[in-house]
Amino acid sequence: RGSFCSGCVSARQAVAPCLRIVSSSRDSAEVTEALRTIIHYLEGGNASASEKAEFNRANYTRVLQVLVSSLSSDWFHSLPAQERRELWDGFFLRGPPDQALLVLLDTISSTSDGSGLDWTVSVLESFLSAGRVGMLLWSRCLETNGRPDSVQLRETILTRLSSLPDLTANRLRTNTPARLLPQQYYTDLARDVLNTLENTCRALRAGQDCSLGFVAQLLGKVCMQGHGGEITTLAPRLSSLTRSDALWRRVSCKLLENVPDRWVESVITALIHHLHGASALSRVMGNLVLKNKKVQFVLTHKVLLLQYQHPTQLLRTVLGYLALDHDRRPLLKQVLRSVCQVWSNSSAVRHTSLDQQLYVSKALLLCVNLLNQTEIQELREELLQCMLGGVQCRLDSSTEHVRRMGMVVGECLSQKLDTPTSQLQFQVIFRKDFVFLIRSAEDFDDELTPYDMSADQVKQKATPPRYVRDCLEALMSSDDPERVELSLQTAEELLRKNVSTAREVSVQFSKVLLHLEDRYSTAGFHTLRQSAMVALAVIHTQPVVEYLTTEFYSLNYSLRQRLDILEVLALAAQELSEPITEKKAVSQPVARAVTLEQCGEVEHWRQVVEKRIQSKTRRISKGASQPPKAAPNRYAPVAAYFFFPLLRNYDRPQVTFDLLGSDHLVLGQLVHTLGLLMHLAVNAPVATQMGKALLDFVWAIRFHADQMVRRGVLFAVCAVFLSMPGENLLLELSDDLVETRAWLADVAESDPDADCRSLAVQSLVLLEKNLKTHLQSPSMET
Amino acid sequence: MVMARPPPDPLFTLRGSAAPVNTLQFHCSTAGRPLLYSGSEKGCVHVWNLNNRRAERVLEGHDGASVIWVSTVDSTDAFLSQGRDMRVCVWDLHEGRSAVTHSLRTGSVGFCQCSLLEAETNKTLLALPAEHTEEIKVMELASQTPVRSLIPDSKQGMLMCMKMFQAESGPLLCAGYEDGSVVLWDVSHGRPLSCLKAHPEPVMCLDFDTDRQKGISGSSDKTLTSWIIDSQQNLQMQNSVLLTNPGVSQLCIRADGKIVAAAGWDGNVRVFGWKRLKPLAVLQHHKDLVHSVAFSNHPEASQRLMAAGSKDQRISVWSIYSES
Repeated sequence: RGSFCSGCVSARQAVAPCLRIVSSSRDSAEVTEALRTIIHYLEGGNASASEKAEFNRANYTRVLQVLVSSLSSDWFHSLPAQERRELWDGFFLRGPPDQALLVLLDTISSTSDGSGLDWTVSVLESFLSAGRVGMLLWSRCLETNGRPDSVQLRETILTRLSSLPDLTANRLRTNTPARLLPQQYYTDLARDVLNTLENTCRALRAGQDCSLGFVAQLLGKVCMQGHGGEITTLAPRLSSLTRSDALWRRVSCKLLENVPDRWVESVITALIHHLHGASALSRVMGNLVLKNKKVQFVLTHKVLLLQYQHPTQLLRTVLGYLALDHDRRPLLKQVLRSVCQVWSNSSAVRHTSLDQQLYVSKALLLCVNLLNQTEIQELREELLQCMLGGVQCRLDSSTEHVRRMGMVVGECLSQKLDTPTSQLQFQVIFRKDFVFLIRSAEDFDDELTPYDMSADQVKQKATPPRYVRDCLEALMSSDDPERVELSLQTAEELLRKNVSTAREVSVQFSKVLLHLEDRYSTAGFHTLRQSAMVALAVIHTQPVVEYLTTEFYSLNYSLRQRLDILEVLALAAQELSEPITEKKAVSQPVARAVTLEQCGEVEHWRQVVEKRIQSKTRRISKGASQPPKAAPNRYAPVAAYFFFPLLRNYDRPQVTFDLLGSDHLVLGQLVHTLGLLMHLAVNAPVATQMGKALLDFVWAIRFHADQMVRRGVLFAVCAVFLSMPGENLLLELSDDLVETRAWLADVAESDPDADCRSLAVQSLVLLEKNLKTHLQSPSMET
Repeated sequence: MVMARPPPDPLFTLRGSAAPVNTLQFHCSTAGRPLLYSGSEKGCVHVWNLNNRRAERVLEGHDGASVIWVSTVDSTDAFLSQGRDMRVCVWDLHEGRSAVTHSLRTGSVGFCQCSLLEAETNKTLLALPAEHTEEIKVMELASQTPVRSLIPDSKQGMLMCMKMFQAESGPLLCAGYEDGSVVLWDVSHGRPLSCLKAHPEPVMCLDFDTDRQKGISGSSDKTLTSWIIDSQQNLQMQNSVLLTNPGVSQLCIRADGKIVAAAGWDGNVRVFGWKRLKPLAVLQHHKDLVHSVAFSNHPEASQRLMAAGSKDQRISVWSIYSES
């Protein structure tokens, strides 16, 4: 630059010799003298403004570098602490902070361990605690037109500032002071940013221009590096400041607008996590979503439809934000359309995880709740289409949870769309699971948790039957609801108490129970009927089980009845396989608390299996427990009666029952039951035959389209691997071993159902274990 | 699915009243041992020591007539018992005495319990059912001077239950009648302020929470109804909850306003959240009708017990929702 002012010349001329002295002289007094001369040019010195400016521009960095090189000199070491702070530290704290920061960081990364490094680090700490970073940010805000900083320098400062903890930690490793650790550093940085914004507001009020470009870039870069959580600690503060002050709102919007596109997503994501409530987001972000395509994509698509890990609160914030402003409402409608499309897509229902479906359902209901009446009328057709399609494809699902979700969401939508008289109504009694779906805005605080109230029942006036035959009679022919109900309630207890009478009528009793209908909507009907049937199957196993297994494949039963048969067989087998406890408590209340749909039952079995796997895992830390008394397994000798008849006719379709066709619900349950029967037969002599037959059966249906069936298949495979003796298993698998492993690995990796995946992993582990024991034991090599 | 906790068992049971237990009252507020008073059908009042769980004393003052209400009077340290011999006995229990100082004749043949209000220091009011089956008499306890007589204009049938409480404007009284209506009375002026048809069947019991200006009433049918007194001093229906079995003998709101307990004719004590009448617990213990429930007024929240007295001659004592 051409203009030479007198100050510039004098400053440069005065500083140059001093610097020479500092760098070369061995006389401490002389060095100190020289430094004291230079001090005049620093902040707070008595040189004129133009002299200082010239010094800062031309000499400052050089001075600092010379100081750094003097770290090892005698002069430095001979300085008393007080003077050292003034003559050395002061230079770093009283000049342009960007230059000082660069020099400090360069020094730290290039100096080897020693007192010099320690000193520099402590100066960096005082640099941070003296608020120099805030100064730096502010100085950048003021550069609206002047100093055409080189892009490179700007980038360098940005990088250093945003990754300072990494830079220092690379050098200092475990000796990094707390202030330089990410948690502390970024929290401080957030405070500095906030102060800078405050200064900006003040300056704007005074009519001065400011540029938020640098701060915005810094924010973006920090968020991009994954420190969004720490840096957005400024979010709550920002939210409260913007509440009362329009200027703050403008500044905050401007800041976000200035964040470069490549970083804006991480900033927005961090923000929506840390701002509570739609109005806060609206104040802080303004209409950014309309101006920035990237933000629009994140808020209207990515967060809602591609991700599903966010809490409901976040969904509420984002959707509420879209709904708050008139200009943004078209976006809400657009979001609703796309959410509808996803919700009613039958392929999505089949191929996305339950969690994601639940997330989308929440988004859908929240969206609909935010619409006003005219908008609903406008979108009515589309919503109706979505509702009908979505509900239908969910009702087709074999997973209980998905069906329920369809019903609950369907009901809620219908409430919004239809007149009170023509609303869709499923008698969804299990709404409790989905309360969070239905509950739109209210928060339930300080509620006391209720105790189990299942024992609260209507007092009976009639007396229950006292004889098995009376009970049977009542169930067969009585039209008195109370009598039937009482008979059903006492049936299990009666049967178990009067074993010999029960044996006489066991098959007949089973037949009556199997055909019994819930005519009087008795509470806990299914459980009561089921436990009575289980009792019969346990008391008189062979004939009852023969009867049930034959009926399973015969004509004219409903799917429900066939499912019941399977459940009864499974529970009976389970009871038989357990040792007889002294007093078999009639476990009615507990049984009733378990939901009566088979979904709950499956969970129950799985828990049992899980427990057994647990109990088979040896844990060193556990002390030896009391060994249980040995008793013969009652299930082992009769396992075949349970198992083989169920495999007899599966491929013979009938008029009313097509197991391999449309009735995959029963197929899934059948495979599950077989798996359980297999698992319970562990150590039974017949286990090998059972395992062979089961593997043959499931091999054919392992790629079934229905996830329930696939889950059943994997469960069965698990059971075979667990229960079949190792050597027989490998003999049986020998040809298909490689293929089996490939199949399991494939399922473990890519099945859309989480349960299938985990079961596949479990099977693989079991298989590997079997293989290893087999290969290690030398006796098997012959 | 998280399974709900099983309901708690009673902490202990007090046997030995040798007759159905009609009414209960805790007395734990002052220093000294915590006590529970119970009135029985055979005319006795048992004073239970809750530390050793035994009856310390048995008071007999009603000639074998059923005791339907007991109460301590904090201001004078007296004790009141109401019997079906149409008398309210005033007892002096100081220093081991157990003497009836005097008795007040009610003339009532019904089952309506008295209600005591100790709002102002030297003026303790007692509301009694009177000879006339619809009438309530309010008297000053110390001087035994009658203050008011409250008789409804319209036909509301027999007086069933009542609760007197202090409001800013003066003492008020909620009374439940045979035709299922609840009437709010202004005691100082002796006029009804509001009437609410709360039940189709007779109102069997009620309790009122002065902090929330909200009360609850039970009947011989299956509903519990809560109502509020609005700013115009009108009764307004608020909430109701359906019971499994009909009939409630007594309702009691805990002093902290968190829960309310109902003594059921089916032998169960039901606990509800007071805010929304959310069912919280069904306590099954008694073999026969539960006649009475009461909450302890112990200064320490964790020691605040609940007692239930039943026709099966037992008193069960529970600790429920007393953790926080």
